[in-house]
Amino acid sequence: MAARVETSRPVADQRSQRLLMIVVYGILGFAAFLSLIPLYWMVMSSFKPLNEILTIPVLLVPQNPTFENYRLLIEETEFERSMFNSIAVAFINVVVQVFLCSLAGFAFAKYRFRGRNLLFTLVLGTVMIPVSVQLVPNYIIMGRLGWLDTWLPLIIPTAANAFGVFWMRQYMFSLPDELLDAARLDGCNEFGLFWRIVLPLARPGIGALALFIFTTSWNEFLLPLVYLRSQEVYTVQLMIASIFRTRFQQNFHLLMSASVLAIIPMTVLFVALQRQFIAGLTLGSLRE
Amino acid sequence: VAVKPLPLTTSANPQAKAFRWDKLAPYIFISPFFIIFAIFGVFPIIYSGYISLHEWTGLNPPMFIGLRNYENLLRDNDFLIALRNTVLLLLISGPLTIGGGLLLAVILNSKLVRFRNAFRTIFYLPLVVSLVVASQVFNLLLGNPFGLVNEMLARLGFERINFLNEPAMTLVVLSVLILWKYVGNDLVIMLAGLQAIPPELGEAAMVDGANPRQVFWYITLPLMRPVILFDIVLSTINTFNMFAEPYNLFGTTGGVNQSGLVTGLLLYRTSFTLFKFGYGSAIAYLVGIIVFVLSLIQLRLGTRDHER
Repeated sequence: MAARVETSRPVADQRSQRLLMIVVYGILGFAAFLSLIPLYWMVMSSFKPLNEILTIPVLLVPQNPTFENYRLLIEETEFERSMFNSIAVAFINVVVQVFLCSLAGFAFAKYRFRGRNLLFTLVLGTVMIPVSVQLVPNYIIMGRLGWLDTWLPLIIPTAANAFGVFWMRQYMFSLPDELLDAARLDGCNEFGLFWRIVLPLARPGIGALALFIFTTSWNEFLLPLVYLRSQEVYTVQLMIASIFRTRFQQNFHLLMSASVLAIIPMTVLFVALQRQFIAGLTLGSLRE
Repeated sequence: VAVKPLPLTTSANPQAKAFRWDKLAPYIFISPFFIIFAIFGVFPIIYSGYISLHEWTGLNPPMFIGLRNYENLLRDNDFLIALRNTVLLLLISGPLTIGGGLLLAVILNSKLVRFRNAFRTIFYLPLVVSLVVASQVFNLLLGNPFGLVNEMLARLGFERINFLNEPAMTLVVLSVLILWKYVGNDLVIMLAGLQAIPPELGEAAMVDGANPRQVFWYITLPLMRPVILFDIVLSTINTFNMFAEPYNLFGTTGGVNQSGLVTGLLLYRTSFTLFKFGYGSAIAYLVGIIVFVLSLIQLRLGTRDHER
């Protein structure tokens, strides 16, 4: 009895193993297909003239592939200006937030001072409070400051990035205290410690944070929608959502080519820096 | 070269000065962050509560009305619709996205599966696509008879419909969009959780005769409970904050019969198209409280007695 069980199990195992693998690759293949279809459709449609987009039966590949949509977009609209605006805003956000967050994170990780735990708990406590609660009051404050229709509301409030402080603090715990003390003995002042020793050593942590900030800023939609009025200052997401949506009727050809251009910077960064991206994702589990 | 003697006052007690600077440094380092944090992070939370007790419409001066905004909200049909839609959306999209993320994570955590990195990259790709762009593409795919989905359905003999104009389909479309965009996010969270489980546990159970399914149900799943719970709480918060997807697919009306009206959209409509700041703040506060209570309940139900 026992002998039979022992000989028959591997055979059954092998067969069920093979079946399991078929199911597993089936699931993976199907999920990958679903993941890629919208992207495939976006890219293909961006190379179709409008009449090829609005046709039955649909064309899986463009019949007469053309760059005409992209030419229209660049020559007839202000789209590239919104791209430039988004790059500028995202870049400023990265610089400001990385500096403030690593400075505060350094203080929380490497100094003992009165009120430290209380202040840090306050920072963490507000992480869970939805942005929507702050939106109306911030809008009123921005109005009073005369900051409406400028980039300042997209930069200043988000500069207090509680996630970023938490992230940098975690990262800086691992830096050796001995190194800091040695630098102090050599006459380095406290800001010099931060600037010349801590920042260079924390570069991987900063990289992931910077990538996360850039992505968030690039993809942000609600804030530009609420604060920006003039088209000259529009970000790329706002441009796609408002101008193209309303000004042209049936404009899928422009929408799709604009979409492709809008995701190119993020896709390039993602492919080049996938590891840092994933590190940033775990930090940014809260959706945009 | 003659060396100038240092003045006695500083050399007498060089430690005192360095010592004080050392004490002050952390406060200086956190102050840029905290000044902005106080003005634009903490103060608005209190100010929002204050505004919510007022009737404050655009240019008119605010008028104190006590809790009347909240009383009105509980009788406001739009608010109740938004609340119902948001809860339904959470009930549909939550299990889909979390379950999907867990399933893919368990598969991609296995060393037996090949091309794991390629698959992971594909599932992460939608995460870098903005919600605005994603909504436009879904609009093209689903919102007209020329869409790809309609084409497939038509080949199977179904009628071509505009999914965005069908009240019954609205929340399904939003759920599919959420699933597509965020399953990679849940995958990241779940993979991190799975990688923290020592593989010896499963191997030992296999040696004792357990099959993979038993290992999943009796070892992996119980150990993953805190991670899944965390993910459920996150999904709840995110769904109640959702705005860009319904706005770009259905506009501020929320689509036919307001079938796509969710709390985030109602908050925006009330505050920034009708400019009812008081009422909008009351919505934000009430929704915030609901989310907080929901999260507490979830944490309570999901945590076993001995862990409390």
